[in-house]
Amino acid sequence: MKLIKMLLAAGCMWAGAVLADPPKGYPFVSYDAGLKAAHASGKPIFLYFGRYGCAWCDHTNKKTFSDAALKKLYTQNYELVYVDAESGKRLTLPSGERITEAELGVRLQAFATPLFVYLTPQGDKIVQIPGFKTVQDFRDYDRYVRGGHYKQKTLLEFLGSKS
Amino acid sequence: MRAAALLLVVLAWPAQAAWEWSAPLTVNSVQGAAIYPHIESANRQGVAVSGDTVGVVWEDNRDGSPQCYLAMKPAAAAAFQPEIRLSRADCFEPVVLALGDGRFVAAWEEAGTVHARVLPGGPALQLTKAEAAQVTLAMRGDALYAAWAEQAGRFRRIVVARLALKADALGVKAAHPVEARAPSDEQGWPALAVAGDGSVSVAWEDRRSRHTVPMVSHSRDGERFAPPVRLTDIKSGSAPGGLGAGTGAMRPTLAAWGAKGVAAVWLDKRDFLSGYDVFAAFDAGARRFGKNVRVQDNFGDNMAQWHALVVGDGGGRLVALWDDARDGTPDVWLSDWDGEAFGDDVAVPAAHGPGAQSDPVATLDAAGFLHVVWLDRDETTGTRVRYARASPR
Repeated sequence: MKLIKMLLAAGCMWAGAVLADPPKGYPFVSYDAGLKAAHASGKPIFLYFGRYGCAWCDHTNKKTFSDAALKKLYTQNYELVYVDAESGKRLTLPSGERITEAELGVRLQAFATPLFVYLTPQGDKIVQIPGFKTVQDFRDYDRYVRGGHYKQKTLLEFLGSKS
Repeated sequence: MRAAALLLVVLAWPAQAAWEWSAPLTVNSVQGAAIYPHIESANRQGVAVSGDTVGVVWEDNRDGSPQCYLAMKPAAAAAFQPEIRLSRADCFEPVVLALGDGRFVAAWEEAGTVHARVLPGGPALQLTKAEAAQVTLAMRGDALYAAWAEQAGRFRRIVVARLALKADALGVKAAHPVEARAPSDEQGWPALAVAGDGSVSVAWEDRRSRHTVPMVSHSRDGERFAPPVRLTDIKSGSAPGGLGAGTGAMRPTLAAWGAKGVAAVWLDKRDFLSGYDVFAAFDAGARRFGKNVRVQDNFGDNMAQWHALVVGDGGGRLVALWDDARDGTPDVWLSDWDGEAFGDDVAVPAAHGPGAQSDPVATLDAAGFLHVVWLDRDETTGTRVRYARASPR
């Protein structure tokens, strides 16, 4: 009985530990590892700026990132990076500056989580989008980024003109 | 119409009435486009005044790797002396504390453990064998304490140590985790304060509730700590639909204040649509923090605040500082506690205006002067560590 209780408690702790982490089944890595991988692969970076315990992150994970086709699209075409908005873990910016993950939020002027940031393989910011988004939204952002439309248009202009 | 416009101008003008400021000085002697100074630390403890000497610590990469530095300036001197390098291996988040008579204790993370040293002149001491980071210091009388976040299995936990000081040599008298049991999730960024009655308060970030909650514990003797409680007066809990675990809050800071009090200030995202706000709570001496108070005024309300801290003194003066970009670019702001509420937000004049001025650290000295250090970022010429002193009007 004691063992069952312990297992249940451990299960609850584990369930808690994964709340508002990166969406299940996606190969998210740290900022430094993602930047290194992007340099090697030439793929753009999709940076998920989340917060531990964040309800809207949880909602986005469950509603949007659970879509199997979206998972395939982003896993195949992006280096996936997860950054914790309140973490003291360190990362190295493309400039060579070392800052904490929380400090990246300051640099991004993050108002709310989740915040989604698309970066070139060199780590330059393409666009950042805050808040809950749908599967279709992420498909549109993918076309904007991988289609290279960001070189000519703002995201709003692109979304206004999409067919 | 003209009167209304004038009123708007007056309301929008940053109040600068409470303090009279010295001309700012640059602290770091080496700058460059690819040199990045940082003054982040546990309890934001980057400046101290010992006797008539100001000491400032920071980390930068001028030598090709992150190293920690201390610069000092006698009050009468026109400039800071060239800085002393504190570390040999990768160094982060240094803090400094005044010992009196121009002497300081600095502490920092180096090569994955925490170290401390008396300056000028003392040898460096490794405070921990275990992996540790985010060290901070506090002192009253001859009782010198350090706290840090130490690896304990899968997570870090908070440890408080009483340090021995003999001439220029430091030692660890005793080090105890605040809680004996192993941490169930991450703990970090401790802040320490020793109140006027000698009791020790420690606050830190804690994730046991599955989101980040500033927690606090107290000890009468600096060894046995009371069970921790939340600094925040809002409860953890999921949003409708069982989503998430609670709002975010981070980087608590503490200051001993008045005869027996302790004040706390931290960043709090309970209003999650406007970024982090600055919140405060007070312990008048009962070793229990009360209702949370929002620090910044309405002009800073719809804006993310960053890098908040509180400084206080035995006379009851209390000041909160932070940076935000309400005027278009990051500036350093402060607010004085008037005994009942925090006053209007006041811009630090030399840390306000075009460009990015951020990351304040501060201290109040025995004479009532407020010493503020911040980063002044310039991508072309490099970031300057800046200093100014304010006297109360």
